[in-house]
Amino acid sequence: MLTDCIIPCAEHFLQLMLNKMRSVRCLGRLALLVFIALQCDCRDTEFNYVTCGSLVKLLNTRHNVRLHSHDVKYGSGSGQQSVTGVESSDDANSYWRIRGKPNAPCERGAPIKCGQAIRITHMNTGRNLHTHHFVSPLSSNQEVSAFGENGEGDDLDVWTVQCSGTYWERDEAVRFKHKGTEVFLSVTGEQYNHPIRGQREVHGMPHANHHNYWKTMEGVFIKTSAELGHHDEL
Amino acid sequence: MAPRSVNLWSVCCLLLCFVAAVFAGRDFYKILGVPKTASIKDIKKAYRKLALQLHPDRNQGDPEAQDMFSDLGAAYEVLSDEEKRKQYDKFGEEGLKEGHSSSHDDIFSRIIFRFLPQNQDRNVPRGNDIVLDLEVTLEEVYSGNFVEVVRNKPVAKEAPGTRKCNCRQEMRTTQLGPGRFQMTQEVVCDQCPNVKLVNEERTLEVEIEQGVRDDMEYPFIGEGEPHIDGEPGDLRFRIKVLKHPVFERRGDDLYTNVTISLVEALVGFEMEITHLDGHKVHFVRDKITKPGAKLWKKGEGLPNFDNVNIRGSLIVTFDVDFPKDQLDEQQRAGMREQLLKQESIQKVYNGLQGY
Repeated sequence: MLTDCIIPCAEHFLQLMLNKMRSVRCLGRLALLVFIALQCDCRDTEFNYVTCGSLVKLLNTRHNVRLHSHDVKYGSGSGQQSVTGVESSDDANSYWRIRGKPNAPCERGAPIKCGQAIRITHMNTGRNLHTHHFVSPLSSNQEVSAFGENGEGDDLDVWTVQCSGTYWERDEAVRFKHKGTEVFLSVTGEQYNHPIRGQREVHGMPHANHHNYWKTMEGVFIKTSAELGHHDEL
Repeated sequence: MAPRSVNLWSVCCLLLCFVAAVFAGRDFYKILGVPKTASIKDIKKAYRKLALQLHPDRNQGDPEAQDMFSDLGAAYEVLSDEEKRKQYDKFGEEGLKEGHSSSHDDIFSRIIFRFLPQNQDRNVPRGNDIVLDLEVTLEEVYSGNFVEVVRNKPVAKEAPGTRKCNCRQEMRTTQLGPGRFQMTQEVVCDQCPNVKLVNEERTLEVEIEQGVRDDMEYPFIGEGEPHIDGEPGDLRFRIKVLKHPVFERRGDDLYTNVTISLVEALVGFEMEITHLDGHKVHFVRDKITKPGAKLWKKGEGLPNFDNVNIRGSLIVTFDVDFPKDQLDEQQRAGMREQLLKQESIQKVYNGLQGY
């Protein structure tokens, strides 16, 4: 990342040196080089925001598991599709799509603001991350399920992104607060047995703590594009 | 004497021109087949079309194609970058700084096309495919667009040591004594070089081609989920065309509705509709317009995906807005007299059964 800036900055710096042809004050110049490198706009090689329409994997930072769902239903509670935490990093069933809330336009590539209401849709089954007043099977917290068809469910599919800055940044640990029941998406470590051995329970908890921090990992992040018209004004 | 010196002079000129041509560098605009005023979008489109035709995999054993392909890569690298293009326009190819350029393979693999021939060995285990629903607006379907994404994915890297792989159940026969055997099931694994998964990132670019239809897919080979014992799956962008507040798409045709006033319906009108790329479509009507009347404008629909020179039509359906306020007695008398020289027709019929 930073190296992408250092090379052109070093080139520029060397040109400066050659042009000026002053006596070499190495230490001073070195300090200047470091200063220039830090000032480089490295942003155009990095894209740091989570945007609408992006496909992401969410890692719970406390327990190191990824948010996951599959075609396995809960044996208790609501009987809806279960949502768990898995350790592996190469399972396509851990991909979720970030979308706007129902009936509100969310422009493709628009960065998600902190505090914005979103839906989190499971890529492979098209069901939305959902929670409701049912008890979770292992820890007796609130059950979190995957609900709906083709991305359309109901009002209990909406979550708010809680983060510290203006926009949701990719390498930031954020919380997801449910709009409707006010719980936080969490993992506390309880493990399932057969047939999903080793997978952790994902549930809703009323308190904000270190169990409800999530970070985006692998994914396909759509960059914010300039408007169509701008391209033609070269 | 005079003719000979003229000959010598013209030969020298020719030689000089030749030398100049050789050292002037390549004409990147000509290589891509675009005018000097081409927009970045046109340059990208031209590059993609030619890169597909000239790719070495498709032109095996043709050394000229290889040269043309590398020229193409150099042309795209310069003209797609604002800074480099400015320098090239001023100083030509030699005026370009000797920068660290990404190899043509890098540029090409950012925008892997639909139909690169791949040798699919059915026996090699494959990672999962990823499908991303890409929402596109009707404006993008009309004019085309490019979408950049950042793909962060786990990549297998060598690690020290070995690991177990290709584990399978096998039946083992052990001899317990003369003539007595026992069959047991055992898990048998091979030893493979150890790998670990490391997250890597790269930028990909997908083109929304003009006229693209709903559910069409753009696959990026190998950008899906990795498989530790085999090949990675693919990343597929599935196009989802969003609804538009003004236009409705049917195939390559666009439908829209316009409400006109009663006066306009009776005496005629002139109007403009703003199209998807901002250009105006002009309508003039000097006859009576009935509610439900349709007007066809050929060539104002969407470009056809297979041939962008063919366009569908724009069909405008008119409905008439009747005045909201009731007419007073004087206006009613005026109406009867002036306007409607029709006799009173009150035909009673069953409209729901087509009579």
